[in-house]
Amino acid sequence: MVSDSVQSISVSLPGAAPHPLWRMAGLTGLLAAEQLLISARTPHIGLQDARGLPGLVFSLGGWKVRLLVSLAILALLFWQSRGKRNLERMSESAVGKGVAWRWLLAHLAGILLFAGLTSILFENRLQGVAADILVLGWAAMGAAAVVLAALAFLPTAFWRAILRGTGDVWAYVLVMGLGACVLSAYTKPVWNPLARWTLMLAWLLLRPFVPAVSADLSSMLIGTHGFSVQIAPVCSGFEGIGLILAFTAGWLWFFRREWRFPRALLLIPLGVAAIWVFNAVRVAALVLIGVAGAPEIALQGFHSHAGWIAFNVVALGTCLAARRISWFTTAGSGETWLAERSEPNPVAPYLLPFLAILAAGLAAGAASSNGFEWLYALRVVTAASALWYFRDSYRALDWRVGWPAVALGGLVFLIWIGLEPLAGSARTGEPSALAHAPALARMAWLVFRVLGAVITVPIAEELAFRGFLPRRLVSADFEAVAWRTFAWAPFLISSIGFGLLHGDRWLSGTIAGMIYAFAMMRRGRIGEAAAAHAVTNALLAIYVLATGNWQLW
Amino acid sequence: MKSTIIKAALLLAGMGGLLLAAQDDYQNWNRGSAPEIDAASAGTALALLGGAVLMIRGRKR
Repeated sequence: MVSDSVQSISVSLPGAAPHPLWRMAGLTGLLAAEQLLISARTPHIGLQDARGLPGLVFSLGGWKVRLLVSLAILALLFWQSRGKRNLERMSESAVGKGVAWRWLLAHLAGILLFAGLTSILFENRLQGVAADILVLGWAAMGAAAVVLAALAFLPTAFWRAILRGTGDVWAYVLVMGLGACVLSAYTKPVWNPLARWTLMLAWLLLRPFVPAVSADLSSMLIGTHGFSVQIAPVCSGFEGIGLILAFTAGWLWFFRREWRFPRALLLIPLGVAAIWVFNAVRVAALVLIGVAGAPEIALQGFHSHAGWIAFNVVALGTCLAARRISWFTTAGSGETWLAERSEPNPVAPYLLPFLAILAAGLAAGAASSNGFEWLYALRVVTAASALWYFRDSYRALDWRVGWPAVALGGLVFLIWIGLEPLAGSARTGEPSALAHAPALARMAWLVFRVLGAVITVPIAEELAFRGFLPRRLVSADFEAVAWRTFAWAPFLISSIGFGLLHGDRWLSGTIAGMIYAFAMMRRGRIGEAAAAHAVTNALLAIYVLATGNWQLW
Repeated sequence: MKSTIIKAALLLAGMGGLLLAAQDDYQNWNRGSAPEIDAASAGTALALLGGAVLMIRGRKR
């Protein structure tokens, strides 16, 4: 049943003309997507032995990433410090003319040419002067494509005003950016000592459980005669340290009014120390799993998932714990925190079931081997538990379903199958682990897989991607936003986010997200979106089981 | 002055951290083999973190 009060509230959207921020976001999204697409199909290794300018392009590859990261942060900081004020000052007429399609078409032509040149360059077909000329043309075409895209999304007057209004912010940020680039580029000598300390700590942690464990500092091997692993320098925990540095600094920056500075800066080294210890625990656990008789799980699922689990635990743990310590923060301590806790969290019913699926997916992935997730049932159970816990909150939502939702679900299924060749995944049959499992275990797994696909996943994902995200993008007080509210940016961002969740099938996922959003907004019923999603997934389940196209699962 | 130093520290930590993580991944990728990189688990973990942050902040209006 629907609450009339929710339906009847109308919210004024943030301006009929697209705000400059949305235009900037659109421009960044377009360039990032193109860069990802081109980069994913580029054989970077092709230029490994190249000479001249092509060789320089290969050696500067690492700096390309550093430059992109620096530019992204620079743009963010500029927005935080002066950009917002400048943008507010600019007249809407300067940015309210819509996308310049001529420039956009020119950009698309330019980016296609750039992609072609990238392919030729990285296949290292040309040599000598011809290759150097190709590099120059490639770089010029890339720069031209970026400029054309910038002009397509925002007029030249806007860019001139931006440049005039920056003042000295660029100088400060560029100096810090270069400093960070240099620091990160020349920290490699620290990797080996760090890896040795990781090895020693992992050995100490393992000793009580595996008395026969040995650690060799020269070969960096740790384990027993039956199972051992080598700690490579890249496994020294550097990536986790980098991610924690970025997360903690970002958290402190964005919520800086809540923290007591400079003491809150201590959270950064505390987070770094915690993630390093967790990395040693990860190595110890990996050895323990291998020694216990599951080397495939240790080296496959656990190896690729445990680091990310540790990152999430440390990142959220550090910040959540610190919010309860009044020495660090002014916002979440004592009576304030208790008062805050006593109020229901309006976001939780919408997000927690989806987050439960993600968390369970990470845990199940860590226990998987050969790419097969035996513990899929964990996703279903955790999502169902979260949905049950918030059942009272869902009574206020409109779960009614009409036939158009069923038809839209069927349409998404047809689109999904039709676009499957674009995903580039080869046809795979039933996973051998499942095919060779006892009949009862196989049947139980299939039952949970279908239940998850048809019930818990559609409800959890629709609550998050249709019920919460687009409305939250319209207003911080998302509960006051009517379910039928349509705005392009929230519609596109939530649909693209939903698409990205589906990896190689991001295009199918994005189109599906748009159709489910349409299903919901047509009558303002979350039930319509969930039903359409459930129909799609049910048809996919039948298709997979009937035709053996298991790559779709 | 104090505020500038704090901002500089946060900026350096944040940018340095992102660059470290990006550099490690890019080098693995550039070598043609990336055993550490599992795009699906990375995407899941980052989506989980982003969602958790939204939820933690969701209590406050």
